[in-house]
Amino acid sequence: MRATKSTRVKRRVLREAVAENLDVIRGIPPRSVRPGNRFLRIWTRRVLFVAVPLTLVGSTYVISQTTPQPITVAALPLRPVAAPPQVKAVVSASALQTERVTSAAFPLAVRRVVIDAGHGGSDPGATTSEIQEKEITLDIGRRLRALLERDGFEVVVTRDRDHTIALKDRALVANQSKSDIFVSIHVNALAKYTESRGIETYYLGATSDPSLTALAAAENRVSGYSMADMRKLLDGIYADARRDESHELASAVQRKLYASLRKSDPGLENWGVKRAPFVVLVATDMPAILAEVGCISNKKEAALLRKADYRQEIADALFEGIRAYSGANDPQQQKGSEQNG
Amino acid sequence: MGDSILHVGIDLGTSRSAISASNGERFVVDSFVGWPLDMVAKKVLKRDVLIGHEAVSNRTMLDLHRPLERGLLKEGSEKDVEAVRELLKHLLKLVGVNGKVKASDVRAVVGVPAAALRTNKQYLRSSMKGIVDSLLIVSEPFAVAYGLDALLHTMIIDIGAGTTDFCVMKGRYPTEEDQRTLTIAGDSIDTQLLKLTEDRYPQANVTIFMVRDWKENFSFVGDVKERCVVTAPVKGVPTELDITNEIKAACETILPPIIETMIDLLARVEPEFQERVRNNIILSGGGGLIRGLAHELETALKSVGGGSVRYMEDPVFVGSDGGLALAIDAPEGDWEKLTA
Repeated sequence: MRATKSTRVKRRVLREAVAENLDVIRGIPPRSVRPGNRFLRIWTRRVLFVAVPLTLVGSTYVISQTTPQPITVAALPLRPVAAPPQVKAVVSASALQTERVTSAAFPLAVRRVVIDAGHGGSDPGATTSEIQEKEITLDIGRRLRALLERDGFEVVVTRDRDHTIALKDRALVANQSKSDIFVSIHVNALAKYTESRGIETYYLGATSDPSLTALAAAENRVSGYSMADMRKLLDGIYADARRDESHELASAVQRKLYASLRKSDPGLENWGVKRAPFVVLVATDMPAILAEVGCISNKKEAALLRKADYRQEIADALFEGIRAYSGANDPQQQKGSEQNG
Repeated sequence: MGDSILHVGIDLGTSRSAISASNGERFVVDSFVGWPLDMVAKKVLKRDVLIGHEAVSNRTMLDLHRPLERGLLKEGSEKDVEAVRELLKHLLKLVGVNGKVKASDVRAVVGVPAAALRTNKQYLRSSMKGIVDSLLIVSEPFAVAYGLDALLHTMIIDIGAGTTDFCVMKGRYPTEEDQRTLTIAGDSIDTQLLKLTEDRYPQANVTIFMVRDWKENFSFVGDVKERCVVTAPVKGVPTELDITNEIKAACETILPPIIETMIDLLARVEPEFQERVRNNIILSGGGGLIRGLAHELETALKSVGGGSVRYMEDPVFVGSDGGLALAIDAPEGDWEKLTA
């Protein structure tokens, strides 16, 4: 008897494991984050329960409106009201559409880009005796802006000079401009590991890594958000298109940054694409990333970051990453590249 | 077709990767892949790519990659994707694929950390194209539970190098609520042990690879009678170092987060089943070999009514064996749907 129960449980979990994999392949969100299926079933039943009589009444009303002459019921042959197709339409439109529609279903090109040069004003970010993070990020941001505008993108910047701007206001600028993507530029500093140097790109997500929590806390310092605001923002995080798109953008930028910069600095490490709860990523409405484009705590890297040529290389790589992401989403560019290829 | 099919379970780990195959073969390799740095190295090594222990041993001549980070494939790095593909090809070759078995006849189940995102799984799936096309990706602790037939009222704590995964089995495929992943695991012990050893013996020349070996030989929490004595060069002279206190301190850093997560997950189990789960906690993964760990967890469980924690005798292969069991049990019709 126990063996039978065990076999039954095994069959069920295996079936569920396969279903979850098929969901991943098809790009459907995990069952746990989909709109509650139980409620969906209840509401589907309720919609049917309400829709059938309503449709019948509605159809009768339409018939009565289009046939205003007084007629006797007995004079009319009984005709079935076309309820089933209408009921089906009501249900399929409102309740049965549970599968997430991915952005791939309606490819949109990136037109407007927000460039967020990290830190500024009274918040210098990471510093050495010779250079400050706020100067590097502003310079790279300006270079990136020029490249994007030359290529036909519209650009919005959160700061174009050395002044303090709260993270909350950076997000506000981005959201009010209704931009398509948000790119925040930062430079790393690792006090304990001065030998290490690498690049990494973040997108929004929770992390259980204490070092990333510490990094996010440092970068979130001038946020302007209260704890209650933060909780509300975090409650609004959803496992859907925006996170996936941010991940795509982060991957494209990280690939281009690493491929390009390691030519100038072969010892540069690729620290990959990571998730972390930076405020600017949480509070912005569009796909958003935060690129740590270098490591100021490493002497060799700091020397490179002081050079205009190297900062231009970083801006070029960021531009290429944005273009790659934008191209992947732009049907016209895709078509063009297929023809070219 | 049936006879030529090879089912495999793969535990793709940050530190070690294990494979169990339906032809009875089982292997474990270090998750390192290296390419000769230059022509001289290539000539010396006589190989285009080195994998596992061989790669670690010859690391000075190699562009060495550890392609998995916290149990997941590093993203945005083409070299790491290439490395994980080489690692997989190597594992499959060890069990006979491309020798007696064709790649298209392989049905593979791969275990990943419990908290792996959908995007992580998609990335892994696309990276494995051409090597393993029929692929089922499951959470690692679930694979362990399946292999042990512990699918009901059980908690699996799988301590690897990159992550510690928790999973409460409730007779269904675990949801996000049933699982947790901590990045406090074997690697964080290594980092702590290296720091503590350097603090105590500042003149000793110690690397993370040496520390990893020491941990694997001596790791413990609580109290043990014997001393942990290792040899390391001090100003070039091989010298014996007593690192008993450092091992204990480093290993015990993982206790508070593991205990906290274990008790938190237990509290979320339906009240009538909590006692059964408390008495059915299973440790797996390399971290399951830390001496005294089960005892410390049982001591912590006393505050919530007591419980029982047991080790797996074969923690290295318990995940890949579970994957193999899943691969064998999955109907061929499901494999057809899962084929890329």
